[in-house]
Amino acid sequence: MENTSVSVSSILIVILEGKRFGLTANCTSYVFHHISKSSFFFLYDSSKVQEEVDLTRDGIYYFSPEDTPIDQQELLCGQLAGVCRCVSELSSSPVRLLHLRKSKYAVRMKDKFLWALSCVVDIPDVSVCDLLDQLIALFCFYNGPVRQSYQLYSKQELALRWARYLCHLQGGSTELHHIFSCLRTIDSTHIDPLLLLKAALILQACQRCPLVLAGCILYRGRVVSTQMPPALTVKVMVYETQTYSQDFQVTANGLSSLVGSPFSSTATTQVFLMPTELHMLRCPPVDRACRYKSRSFLSKKSSFVRSRLLSRTLSDTPTTDTDSSSLDPTHCPPPSYKTVPSSPRSSLSDELCFSPSPSRVNTPIHSNLMNQSEYFTPDSHVHSTSNGTNLCAVEEHLAGLNIKQDIDANSGSETKSNGLNSDQDIQSEEIKAPANGYEQSNCLDNHSDLDSQIKSEENKLDANNHVTNKNGNGETEEEAKTKSKQINRKLKEKNEPTNTPSPHETLEDTSLVPLVLYQHRVKGLVLALLVEPEFITDHSAREEVHHSSLASLNGLEAHLRNTSPGTPGPPGPYTFAHYDCIQNTLTTNVCGRSVGPQDQAFVKATKLVHSHFSRLDTLQEAIVRNASSAVYGTRTTAQETYFLQQGTPVRNSGSPDPQDSAFSLPRKARLRLLKHGVNLL
Amino acid sequence: MKCLLLANESAEVLFYWTDTEFEQRVQEQYGVSQEEGERLPAFEDSINTLFAPIIISCSTMVDRLGDNYTSFSTENNHIYVLHQFEECLYIAVNGDGDETEEDLKRKIFVMKKLTEIMFGMVTFSGALLRKELRPQDTEQRNRLWKKLRSLLETYSRLRENDQSFLVEAVERLIHPTLCEQCIEFLERRLVQQINSNMDRMGEEVLHAFILVHTKLLAFYSSRNASNLYSSDLLALIILVQDLYPSKINLDETSEELESSSVPEVFYTPEPSPPERESVRQRGDSPPVFQFVDPDVQMAEDSLQTLEAPTPDPSAPSRVFLESKECPMPHSMYCLPLWPGITLVLLTKIPNSHVATSVCYFLEAFVKLEKRLCEGHEGAAAMRGQPSVQEQRSRLEKLIKTWAGMDIQTSQLQNAWTDFKNKAFSRSGSGFTRDLLPSCRNMKTQLCGVYRQFFAAECMGSSQRLAPHLQERALSMVQEKLMDWKDFLLVKSKRNITMVWSLVATAQRYLQKGYATVTLRDGDYFYCYFLWFENETGYKLEVIDIPSSPDDGAPVGMLTCDYYRKLLRYYSKKHQNEVVKCYELFTVHLGVIPNEYILQHCSQLARKLWEPTRIPLL
Repeated sequence: MENTSVSVSSILIVILEGKRFGLTANCTSYVFHHISKSSFFFLYDSSKVQEEVDLTRDGIYYFSPEDTPIDQQELLCGQLAGVCRCVSELSSSPVRLLHLRKSKYAVRMKDKFLWALSCVVDIPDVSVCDLLDQLIALFCFYNGPVRQSYQLYSKQELALRWARYLCHLQGGSTELHHIFSCLRTIDSTHIDPLLLLKAALILQACQRCPLVLAGCILYRGRVVSTQMPPALTVKVMVYETQTYSQDFQVTANGLSSLVGSPFSSTATTQVFLMPTELHMLRCPPVDRACRYKSRSFLSKKSSFVRSRLLSRTLSDTPTTDTDSSSLDPTHCPPPSYKTVPSSPRSSLSDELCFSPSPSRVNTPIHSNLMNQSEYFTPDSHVHSTSNGTNLCAVEEHLAGLNIKQDIDANSGSETKSNGLNSDQDIQSEEIKAPANGYEQSNCLDNHSDLDSQIKSEENKLDANNHVTNKNGNGETEEEAKTKSKQINRKLKEKNEPTNTPSPHETLEDTSLVPLVLYQHRVKGLVLALLVEPEFITDHSAREEVHHSSLASLNGLEAHLRNTSPGTPGPPGPYTFAHYDCIQNTLTTNVCGRSVGPQDQAFVKATKLVHSHFSRLDTLQEAIVRNASSAVYGTRTTAQETYFLQQGTPVRNSGSPDPQDSAFSLPRKARLRLLKHGVNLL
Repeated sequence: MKCLLLANESAEVLFYWTDTEFEQRVQEQYGVSQEEGERLPAFEDSINTLFAPIIISCSTMVDRLGDNYTSFSTENNHIYVLHQFEECLYIAVNGDGDETEEDLKRKIFVMKKLTEIMFGMVTFSGALLRKELRPQDTEQRNRLWKKLRSLLETYSRLRENDQSFLVEAVERLIHPTLCEQCIEFLERRLVQQINSNMDRMGEEVLHAFILVHTKLLAFYSSRNASNLYSSDLLALIILVQDLYPSKINLDETSEELESSSVPEVFYTPEPSPPERESVRQRGDSPPVFQFVDPDVQMAEDSLQTLEAPTPDPSAPSRVFLESKECPMPHSMYCLPLWPGITLVLLTKIPNSHVATSVCYFLEAFVKLEKRLCEGHEGAAAMRGQPSVQEQRSRLEKLIKTWAGMDIQTSQLQNAWTDFKNKAFSRSGSGFTRDLLPSCRNMKTQLCGVYRQFFAAECMGSSQRLAPHLQERALSMVQEKLMDWKDFLLVKSKRNITMVWSLVATAQRYLQKGYATVTLRDGDYFYCYFLWFENETGYKLEVIDIPSSPDDGAPVGMLTCDYYRKLLRYYSKKHQNEVVKCYELFTVHLGVIPNEYILQHCSQLARKLWEPTRIPLL
């Protein structure tokens, strides 16, 4: 039963779309297509600008467009940061939105950071806020916590990444896509549904390997099938587009691991997930907790355990009882995972007692991880392992650097782990100190008070310390001690401003959990899988996933390639947009950029009504009309649909008239949209 | 948690209003940051300090980016709305979820409207408005701020409880016979009698109307009166409601007896003998001029405050009403007939024609300033204006006349001499950018003259309709309406509807050009229609209504007379017709099929036209 339902949902995510676009091949231009040419995005660190003598420019970590004159950058950052601070102090809450007469800014404030993304005023508030959140989430997904990233990498290098993410989110597609900030999916109208089913089956087959959490299949930058929640799919897609455009360039570069011919290659990179995301992958809809149980020894006993589940599908039921606490994401991860120090479940913290020493990183698993992820390559000399930066600029930049790609895995890891440590020494004294402090207090049971700053610092260290010691299981005494200490610390820090909960987890740097993104490309087709870190070292698992899916991927690719893109049919006598809030997909017949007056009227009304829907939960439907157009909007918890009947001569007085064609829109929408698979009944 | 404040460009708070929650919050914040043992700063100072960074940032943004903040919202849903009018920045804050961004914007525009009603053209000059809103004398300032706060609270109360302030339309008490009788009475008996009496002190009743709570029973305008705009009428109703608040659900009878006989009880004799029938009483009363040495002024003020100012019921309020040329000064007399029923007289005051000429030249200087700022020089700077020489000689003459009228014109004369030297003499700069400061100074001085002539405190306190005339008017109308009183009070309480969120929603869509909106929200179905008719009730064809920018004035009457502008826009297409604009808001139960709802709306629209045949304003 469950199996069927999952397959169906996988198929449903593939929806039609009126227009297709080529991939945004190389995202080095930062023109915001629909947002505005004069759109700004910046990341500002006010902790760098405290004294009168401090220059505003020192606080600017990234500013887009980058060719903005520095004095204008300073003006905007300085003013907005100042005013936001003042307002947030007055209201004891971070600023979320800032309107100006000619533009508006979505704002995020966290710790001393301030992100701001601007757009023209008629984009709904909710859309621009979503966009900013997505952008920050993307950054954290690939780079981990922001503060830490900036300790490890240069502004210039991270600037390229911001630019890439910005470009990915804002590039291509229609204005409607931006309003709903939805996923780009393939046009299924011209595709044999069996292909979609096939894609879903490939994903399921990959999941036979217990190290595989979830996957998605993309074709030329569009989703064919996905098992991930929309927010994650979006993130995964960035890596896809980036490796796609890179395909025919010189790969190598030690960039993660990119293996194979240009036409069929695999790559892995480290990514960071929020606990809720991880929870969604690991726990529902299918309880796969059994895998976690087994994995704790799996990581040691390696692959033979896995074979037990050779025919595993999504509908597999757990074979062992699961701890009720496994529903909490922070409880779910196997003990080999280091999570938040403040996690209530102290079994996780026990590793911390042993972990922070650099000497610990000597198991093959860890060394491989080090290899895989630029994230742990601390100094600028090794950032050549940048996770797939395809931008020419980066490559040029890197060309002159000391690239250590020829180092063999083990020795490389040693070098790098040492590097990590020395890097900490150099870059941030304060990081090292609290780390030691933490170690002490946990391991030596030293009850001396911790500096309040220690906590936040060690949280930041989180990712650094993630390489954990597998021998730490079952230290119950330590567990108890740590737990009580944590509770104390929590109480103590209750009023710390840094601890105020933020509604968006992205900004909760502290809780990010590292995973690995595996990608198998067959020409334009990409299989992207989120896998447990052990996957990288587990050669037989990799082989199995690779070989089991290769043939099917080739077949799927050939079919998709040979499917004619399909000429967009004559535009119907109506315009519509159907947004699936659950899958985060949009079906519309509004064509790209050649937007006629009717389409413009449609988009304008859609923005207003969408904005209204987002503000008012109880609102179910709306008809708005002016002299030349009437638009009908309706929504349920799962979808929003907008409909405009074209060419209706609207010649009446505007006084209430039951014959007014505007009022027949709901009926027409119901009829017309059925053939697009939209059911409004 | 609410707050509204006005500040000028130098981050000086000109006025603020806060609710107790906001006040507490500010004090808590200061309590935390304050060293122990240190006294809390005065609340006003705290407000000043807290908002200063925002205010300063606003001017920086305007100067350097040509853009300005219009609102902030925070994650805990606090809303800040900002709007800059000339040199004056308004900030409205809400932190309790009671008001939306639109509500706050509206509040700001209403506050602006109220200052215009109270200070007229003085609001054109930032420096003068500052002096007006922020008198140096603390007592005086407290009095004024108290008044403004109370007006703001009255408005908020009305907006929440009264449908006519929800939709910003003057609501009439519909009783055709009585209405007609009253209008006739106001015209033939009341206004005629007052205007022919010698004790009217040079004033002339232009408009007279009777309010039952906020509803209009009868309205009469004399023939030579200019039009009273609905936006002004609504603002006047706020003033009346502030003086005589409608107490809902209170036992009316006991109070009623008292207050109907109040005028005599509270009447305090004039400081100067009122028998001299003269236009100029100013010389007799202590002159409170604009440009007096502040120290002297302080001394005078403190003297004045020694004698507790008793409310003077026969003293009129000064109101500035819109006219085609400029804000015209009027005196407003509110005569409470019974609790809830008020007779209002609007009179033309002596010298009000001066306002027109001041305004004429003020406008000329504003235009000149604009052209100079745009970089035009010489003759080009004066384009679009009558000949320079002609204007020059007219102004010369006026200044001479004003000088003979007992007001201080020395500063104006100095400014004028300076302007002439720069503009017309050979040694001067001529009409170039260098003239800008003199040009601005002339503007300020003209506003100053206007203020001396018309600001309430500058008018001699004896300038008013003689009290016995007011009493006479009161008792005449009381007599006339005695038998109707209870009926009216009851009737005015009927047809009170609940507050609809629909109105705000519809206005938002209207602002974006949508004249028809239907919404299914929860268990209800809401409809909104706006359409145009000609005088005979023929429904005119719909047109595309321009969509206004987000930072523009909110849709409404009180705020910026949106509908007047809308009609003007529509009339361009129908020049030979009188065009009327109607709106219909309905709420139906959602279970009713749509076609019945629409049918019902259409029936309502037809029927509603009928009662409007009663004599209108």
